[in-house]
Amino acid sequence: MKKFLTSALVRGLLWQAIGWLLGALFVTGIRFLMGMNPFDQFFFTEPAWVFGALVGAISFVAGTGAMSDWFKWAKGEETPEHREDPPGWEKYLNVSLDHKVIGIQYTVTALILMCIGGVFAMIFRTELAHSGLQILTLQEYNTFMSLHGIVMIVGILVGVAGVMNYLVPMMIGADDMSFPRLNAFSFWVVPPAAILLLSTLALGGFDTGWTGYPPLSARAPVGMQMFFMGVAVAGWSSILGGLNLIATVLRMRTKGMTAFRMPIFIWAAIATSIITLTATQLIGLAFQMVMFQRLLGMGFFDPAKGGNPILFQHLFWFYSHPAVYVFVLPGLGLISELMPVFVRKPLFGYRFVAMSSLGIALVGFLVWAHHMFTSGMNEYLRVPFMYSTLLVAVPTGVKFFSWVATLWKGKVETPTPMLFVVGGIVVFLLGGLSGPPNATVATDLHLHDTYWIVGHFHDTMFGGYVFPFFAAIYYWFPKATGKRMNETLGKIHFWLMTPAFLTLTLLMMRVGLLGMRRRVADYDPALGFDNYHLIMTIAGYLIAISIAIFLYNLYMSLKHGETATGNVWNSRSPEWQVPSPMPVHNYDIPFEVVGEPYDYGLPGSVYVRFADGGQSTKH
Amino acid sequence: MEHSNKTEVFRQGMIIFIFLAVLTALEFFVAVAVGAVVLLAIIAVVKVALVMYYYMHIYKLNTKDEQLDRHSYEYKLNTRRLGLWLFLLSDTFVFGGLFVSRFNLLGLTRPDLNQLLGLTVTSVLLLSSFFMNRAEASMEHGDRKGFIIGIVATLILGVGFLAGVLGVEWPNAIRAGVTPSASAAGAIFFMMTGMHAFHVLTGVIFLSIVLRNGSRGIYSPEKHWGVEAAAIYWHFVDVVWIFFYPALYLIGKLI
Ligand SMILES: [Cu+2]
Repeated sequence: MKKFLTSALVRGLLWQAIGWLLGALFVTGIRFLMGMNPFDQFFFTEPAWVFGALVGAISFVAGTGAMSDWFKWAKGEETPEHREDPPGWEKYLNVSLDHKVIGIQYTVTALILMCIGGVFAMIFRTELAHSGLQILTLQEYNTFMSLHGIVMIVGILVGVAGVMNYLVPMMIGADDMSFPRLNAFSFWVVPPAAILLLSTLALGGFDTGWTGYPPLSARAPVGMQMFFMGVAVAGWSSILGGLNLIATVLRMRTKGMTAFRMPIFIWAAIATSIITLTATQLIGLAFQMVMFQRLLGMGFFDPAKGGNPILFQHLFWFYSHPAVYVFVLPGLGLISELMPVFVRKPLFGYRFVAMSSLGIALVGFLVWAHHMFTSGMNEYLRVPFMYSTLLVAVPTGVKFFSWVATLWKGKVETPTPMLFVVGGIVVFLLGGLSGPPNATVATDLHLHDTYWIVGHFHDTMFGGYVFPFFAAIYYWFPKATGKRMNETLGKIHFWLMTPAFLTLTLLMMRVGLLGMRRRVADYDPALGFDNYHLIMTIAGYLIAISIAIFLYNLYMSLKHGETATGNVWNSRSPEWQVPSPMPVHNYDIPFEVVGEPYDYGLPGSVYVRFADGGQSTKH
Repeated sequence: MEHSNKTEVFRQGMIIFIFLAVLTALEFFVAVAVGAVVLLAIIAVVKVALVMYYYMHIYKLNTKDEQLDRHSYEYKLNTRRLGLWLFLLSDTFVFGGLFVSRFNLLGLTRPDLNQLLGLTVTSVLLLSSFFMNRAEASMEHGDRKGFIIGIVATLILGVGFLAGVLGVEWPNAIRAGVTPSASAAGAIFFMMTGMHAFHVLTGVIFLSIVLRNGSRGIYSPEKHWGVEAAAIYWHFVDVVWIFFYPALYLIGKLI
């Protein structure tokens, strides 16, 4: 208990509260001295809340001590390169420089955020089970709906960071990331950002959805500002994480690991990081501009002052479309990574799969305006953006082709991770196939803002990241803990979640085609959607139950799981050639890459050779 | 290493500065006399290329150090340099977003600003880059006195730039009716100059830290990453202004 109360997390939270209060009081004092009204509807005025929130977020990170080495460097002091972590659980609540600890910190944070986002979904899904308003007011509905969106998005971003942080240095044979302190900093800005997002609940909520379009966002309650700031702060985690990852892969690969001998997940991680490093700045900028519009009356997006609301949408989607690839590229990379292990066959078309990740990322920068076909932007932009969007299907198709060809005539084993891999492919296929109708101008004019879109992107998010994320957790759990997750519970999780999820999203698409608008709290009973919505709500609850089983499995396996310190899945990847859990600085004996990564089933093939003569298990 | 002698390096820095100054004058003249946007864009790109190559030494990113020990100072130095450049790439997207927003909102028009002041602060920032380059070159050749003089001059000019923009230009503009809340033009002017000034301010803080550590003898000709990083960052802020200056002061018709 004492270890908990003195942990960096608790210190940070305390500092955030203090910083927030002092910042708000500071602005309130100045307003008082200037003769402006010092208080408002939510006690403090909006500028006071915003300034306080900023001070609070910075105080959190400073309070954890994640920046203390940098302060020492500024003073001209030297610090030791590594820092030893305490042996117990408390290292996960404190600032650690070890990429494996940080990876797990990210992953657990992601699971917590996704659970919170899921609870929000259950709340408004319950409201939707019947037409008419039963349990929520309109503003409450809008807030839960918007928060579900953004909390899930941040949750997935954090989950992506978790898997990349944990795996990338291990897979390339590095002892850590290039910049371990920056890595810790990138993680520790996430909790204050999450607090900011959740604080919207107490500050009037926000009713814009996660897109935050002005002019609506220019007049929503103060909660809107907390949403903007929360996303901007979380964005820095993404930007700096991407920077670190690119530097790590370019500079820390072990001997012999040429570009086309890297694990396929590394390619996906690089493609993702290029997007987070660059495009994230534009959503931050767009949100800052709305914040200033609200605080200082700067009329960027206010037509009355010569501003342009469409500009916001361009800046916003320039990030938020590629952001989709930030979620799915690592997920698809995980699928390509795991499939050969369970099929015992080489990955089909390695080079094409590797290049397809980069291809998706780069084409993804040129498609953003497909979200704006109905926005009133210049009409001549529609057709080029339609074609660029349809072009994304080509590299995505390459991946599907590779998976099918890899499966073809393989000796398929189906432990839980493989189930989630296959489930991910099926669900992502539905998401992928429901995409081109939205990319095509003629059909999008009909489908825009309907439940069809909701069904489409839930399929891409779940198939593209959530299923692979679960696969990764089941697969690398033994690596992180030295224990195995329970197979039976894992299979129940899968067989409960997958049909329920497919039912949910397919029905979403159906009511969408029939004309159900998205983001509405109520619908006309005469539309005849009541039964569909009831089934969707039940499916939602089933998903929630399956997640509860998963969490129970995590907890039980951690406590009483079957010991597994060896190469559980008979993998060729270097991290499985050393005992689990992974040693602190990864590889005590360095290894060299001497062959192709995915030559499963080819007699005599070797991927890595350790300096002491040991080599990856023969196949 | 190409550790040529100090006077040689100083002379190169001076020549580049003269080129930049002439190009800036040419830019101003083109804007007043011809107003050709394409020409202005070409001049800006040439200026940026000169700064990035000769002052920021972007070619150092092209490392051939695979055989070096991963834990050696030099290998890590190259990694840090890569990290800093990646950060600048990221930052470029902020300024790029502002730049595009400016043209989206204002097209080929511009707010009425004090031309003389604009040219002055631009020259001040350019001159500061010259001194920054001199400070870094001095450090590379173990001339601590030259280093301190260079950094102090850079700092004074940097603070002078901030005073010019925040202390003179902003009140001037507000008096002339270009306020943050009056119009989108005012809003984007204050956002661009404000974001840039914020970066200048962080650069000033960074340089002060480097000055303090440098005068205490923490850096050596072989190990002075702090100085190099501060220099690259400072030149980057100058690079941003090379684009922002014509975008705000020179391009387009007066509103
Ligand atoms: Cu999109």
